Amino acid sequence: MSSKSDENTIEHKDRLNLNYWSITRRLTFLYTLSASGILVIATVSLYWVLINNLEKEDNQFIVNKIQVLRVILQERPDNLGALEEEVKWEGAALRFTKYYARVLDEGKHTLIETPGMGNIIPVSLFPAPSGVTENPKNGIKQRSRDGRTYLLMAAWAEVGHLNGKKQLLQAALDVSPENTLIAEYRRKLSFVLILGILCSAAAGFLVAKKGMQPLEEITETVQRITSTRLNERIGMMQWPRELVSLATAFDNMLERLEDSFIRLSQFSADLAHELRTPINNLMGEAEVALSRARTPEEYRQVLESSLEEYTRLSHMIDSLLFLARAESAEAKIERVLFDTLKEIESVREFHNVIAEEQGIEITCHGNGLLKADPILFRRAISNLLSNALQYTPQRGRITISVKQSSDDQSVEVSVSDTGSGIEPEHLARIFDRFYRDDRSRSQYPKGTGLGFAIVKSIMDMHGGTVVIQSEPNKGSTVTLRFPSAN
Amino acid sequence: MRILIIEDERKTAAYLRKGLTENGFVVDITNDGDEGLFFATTHEYDLIILDVMLPERDGWSIIAEIRRGGKQTPVLFLTARDSVHDRVRGLELGADDYLVKPFSFSELLARVRAILRRGPTRQPEILRIADMEINLLRHKAIRGGQHLDLTPKEFTLLSLLVQRAGEVLSRTMIAEQVWDMNFDSDTNVVDVAIRRLRRKADDPFEKKLIHTIRGVGYVLEER
Repeated sequence: MSSKSDENTIEHKDRLNLNYWSITRRLTFLYTLSASGILVIATVSLYWVLINNLEKEDNQFIVNKIQVLRVILQERPDNLGALEEEVKWEGAALRFTKYYARVLDEGKHTLIETPGMGNIIPVSLFPAPSGVTENPKNGIKQRSRDGRTYLLMAAWAEVGHLNGKKQLLQAALDVSPENTLIAEYRRKLSFVLILGILCSAAAGFLVAKKGMQPLEEITETVQRITSTRLNERIGMMQWPRELVSLATAFDNMLERLEDSFIRLSQFSADLAHELRTPINNLMGEAEVALSRARTPEEYRQVLESSLEEYTRLSHMIDSLLFLARAESAEAKIERVLFDTLKEIESVREFHNVIAEEQGIEITCHGNGLLKADPILFRRAISNLLSNALQYTPQRGRITISVKQSSDDQSVEVSVSDTGSGIEPEHLARIFDRFYRDDRSRSQYPKGTGLGFAIVKSIMDMHGGTVVIQSEPNKGSTVTLRFPSAN
Repeated sequence: MRILIIEDERKTAAYLRKGLTENGFVVDITNDGDEGLFFATTHEYDLIILDVMLPERDGWSIIAEIRRGGKQTPVLFLTARDSVHDRVRGLELGADDYLVKPFSFSELLARVRAILRRGPTRQPEILRIADMEINLLRHKAIRGGQHLDLTPKEFTLLSLLVQRAGEVLSRTMIAEQVWDMNFDSDTNVVDVAIRRLRRKADDPFEKKLIHTIRGVGYVLEER
């Protein structure tokens, strides 16, 4: 239920917020938006240039006519024939456009006009005329009685030279065909515009899709990786530069995953193996004991032996729980400032019982203050000492030294022995749980193989490190490095 | 001494009853929480051993109910879950001690005795068992009139065994009490220490006092 409503919410957000869109959708949207912008600007300016040019031409045409009439009236005021020719017949001579002209006296009485003009364009329709010496202003467009649109212009003209007489000139040009043309042009232009936007959206979608292809491929590749195929890597394939770092990062993550996965399955296998031995002993002993009647003493021996196995199992569980807790987020340690050597001394005293028995000398030197969890610290030192005692022969020596770095930033505790050392091939895995070499298994069957793992996890909890150096037949040195607690 | 065990795991309950009865306690058992609460509030017990995970009603709510009813019967918690949080919660609710499964019976017995012993008891300065005499104040051990030459730790170990004479002490407990090593460790230090102590305190004498309980630990007693 709740997941469904979640989906709904997400879908709802989807529509509103660009951030929730798929990248393809986003790219297509942005691409279309910018392409449409460019298309609209281009068409609108083309349209504007065309209209402007047409109007300019029309105006120029009428201005020209008016100039001609002005010249006729000024130069040859008495040549009525020329005037008549220009006014009456010039309009009829034009084939595609209609042109009308009219000459009026100062009292606005028509002196002469193109035939039929009076019915279509009355005198009053014209704008205010420009002065005698002025260039005619741009005309105005008016719809006339015949339903056509005319560009109208009026201007005063001088009659003869410097006699103060003037007449009014009115000229009209039919611009209806042009308007039709412009309307047609506008229609076509918007059609082209819409088509262009649609095409750019489609192209944008294809481009985005194509661009996103590597991402889809990388997703597909990643989806093929399962826990059984963790060894696959995606970095060696050809990826666009932007994805190479992603692929590399992903490969690194896989590397780590594979590593911990291998460790985990190794751990499970080891755990099963470690459990098998004591449980096998328990089952076998009990079965044999029960197979016939025994004396109480024999039963007692079986029970005692079982108890030893149980103790071993219980000890193993404790150690594993300790490790699990150390790894979990709730692992919290109580740091206390203490004298390192004093704590070491008390652990040494404990193990000294065995050391004396085996004629091994344990010496401690150096000093330093450490802020750490004292119980965990003792446990780590105790594990290291116990291990060193296992592998150090009679009359050997174990040295524990404490070194505080000069800047007080860290404390190093190292435990060295003159024991049998560890073969290099085992060193790398010595801190793994249950990891034991064959010699350890045979010489020290009671151990759990968790001692070093516990040391490592104690150091992890403190944010410190543990390093082991060893030379076969010469001895080993384990160094714990505690960082400053601040 | 009457002890009530509230534990749903029947095998656990059965061996606890057996072990505790054999050690001189009177034991009642119940397998579910409601019944346990009923027993705990209507009868008088010296100690309640309480499992945390129970059907019907868990250990937390049982102890809370008992304490709300004004009873201060000591409670020892048993649990399979070992987290600091649980431990703190148990103690906050008024539990007296806390044991995590798997635990050894000797450990449980020691804790039970420790809880029941609590209170103003005065340790005598001189302890005697058989022909052995321990002077806790002067740190001296004498056996058969002879002074035993012990190291300080050996003396601590011997006096622990004598103080708890007849009680089986686990290795973990000995390590904790004598060397303050309160964590599990797979060394056999305790065995070696006992061996050395025996060499001085037991071997020269005919009557042996320190006995090994195989798989459990050590006990000092006259046999």
